[in-house]
Amino acid sequence: MAQTQLAILFTSAALVVIGLYSAIFIDNIIKKIIGISFIEEGANLFIVAIGYKPGGVVPILMPGMDTSWFATNAAYPLPFGLVLTSIVIGASTLAVMLALVMVLYRRYGTLSTSVMLADTSKQEEYDE
Amino acid sequence: MNELIPLMVIVPLMAALLISAFSKFNKATKVFAFVVALCLPVIPIASHYGLHYFGGYAPVMDNVTNVMYHPAITYSFTFLQQIFIAMLGLLTFLVVFIYLTKYKKVSGPYLFLLFLGTAAVTAMLLTDDIFHMFVFFEILALAQVGIVAASSIDYSYEMALKYMVLGSIGSPMMLLGIGFLLALTGSVNVTDIAAAVHNGLVDATSPVFLLSLGLIFFGWLYASGLPPFHTIKSGIYSKAEPHGAALLQSFTVVSMISIVLIMFRIYSSLPIFEVLVVFFSILAMILGVSLALTQTDFRRMIGFLAVGELGFIGLGIGLGTQYAITAGLFQALNEIIITALLFIGFGAIVNATDEVDTRKLGGLLAYHPKVSIMLLIAGLAMAGVPPLSGFQSKLMLVQASLNCGFPEISILAIMVSIATFVVFVKTYYTMFLKPKPNELELEKKEVPRTMIFAMGVLLIIVILLGVFPDIVTAGISNFVGGIL
Repeated sequence: MAQTQLAILFTSAALVVIGLYSAIFIDNIIKKIIGISFIEEGANLFIVAIGYKPGGVVPILMPGMDTSWFATNAAYPLPFGLVLTSIVIGASTLAVMLALVMVLYRRYGTLSTSVMLADTSKQEEYDE
Repeated sequence: MNELIPLMVIVPLMAALLISAFSKFNKATKVFAFVVALCLPVIPIASHYGLHYFGGYAPVMDNVTNVMYHPAITYSFTFLQQIFIAMLGLLTFLVVFIYLTKYKKVSGPYLFLLFLGTAAVTAMLLTDDIFHMFVFFEILALAQVGIVAASSIDYSYEMALKYMVLGSIGSPMMLLGIGFLLALTGSVNVTDIAAAVHNGLVDATSPVFLLSLGLIFFGWLYASGLPPFHTIKSGIYSKAEPHGAALLQSFTVVSMISIVLIMFRIYSSLPIFEVLVVFFSILAMILGVSLALTQTDFRRMIGFLAVGELGFIGLGIGLGTQYAITAGLFQALNEIIITALLFIGFGAIVNATDEVDTRKLGGLLAYHPKVSIMLLIAGLAMAGVPPLSGFQSKLMLVQASLNCGFPEISILAIMVSIATFVVFVKTYYTMFLKPKPNELELEKKEVPRTMIFAMGVLLIIVILLGVFPDIVTAGISNFVGGIL
């Protein structure tokens, strides 16, 4: 395994771990969402690392290229295609989450999850 | 006629986009949504079984390794997909029909979400590509969150955000699991991955393979609402409009079986896989019914009962024999219908009383006899009372666990069924049979006729599948034989 690939894998693992920590333990919803983005990006980076090929070329067959040379030297294109799709979905999820946070911030005036996402039955009792 | 296979996804997807774009034309939107919803159960019935290769890329032989591989996304359409997609289509039609008649001015985004969710679960069930499944799993989560947030029920935004935050942890975990499988096999096609595992090209005991199982399994628990996600799953049902909740639970059931069948094909050689599925299923059965017993909000009560019923499905699949998996899948089909019937029925009560607390209700049998009787039959079907459909699938599950040499699981399944019966009868008595509280006003509001119609249609299917279970079990059994 190339050193670059190893470094990418370690980075992705670090992103996932940091993301999980902040998503689980940090109370501020924006920081929680940043943590969630870290997890998503860690997963994406991991998949990119799978397609990495030391000294490889971009997997686009250009006119005049020798196909057997291309097959031997091109990076594996599937992970890149998957990551592209995954980034788009991640962005949509992030947008929806932030939109919900905006609505809830207007209602509660705080970004603390222990206030805005407390057990709804308790919230109902509190309202009463 | 395999061209119809992708249409099962394309039609609701395009309809969702068009409705969202042209929702300002209220009458045209209503007519269009009705017609498209009517087409949804028809397409799978009209379609022939077979495979659809996107872009026309059929499987090819790799000359170097002599292994067949799938270069493009493949949709596989068999009896199982046909029956589930047709039922999902019927349910979408009924829910859209109820929604269209309930409101004068329809919401384009809400209809968009209903159709989007249907398209997403249909794709999850059809696809033979694990990443494609993941993409629609994410789209489904967005649709589910939207359906909950769009309801006018208090605290629906909070519940939607909670579900989304948990989902945003579950989804990347599943993606990582898929990444590990890709790293091991170089493919995201389930048939190719399963062939690589079963032909010994992948070491099934390697830590990376086991880690991929753990990560995808975590995503499956989230999608299915099995413990530890049972509370949030029942929560989103209670915060959605009742007809929306009827559709949401069907999305959960179909996504649950879609993912577990993919996992089964890849990981069935690992004994730990079946142990995990059975363990979490039993946990769901016990927790679901126990928590349902303590609820006073009847929407939440059905939500927990639905989670308990999911445990029965997982149990059948986890036992791993042809008969057990058939029983589990039959139970899944029954749960879609029965729980939808209960949600719509109790939704009719909410509509008539504006009350969800069982302690404040009573004497409804005299005011809404049709709804009361249909709900009673649905509740009995869920508890597994003969000759209704729930009885047939639960009997099969009990027989399957006995055949597999686990009499204790059979006893547990029977006890959970009895507990379900107790929960339902207790709620039914409180709402329909005990004297009406003085402060409850019932005279003014009628139950919408579309709701009665929807309940009637679903009730006929419950009775039909109870009396003639072979209509579906024979076909499901053939499908299971194929994957085993």
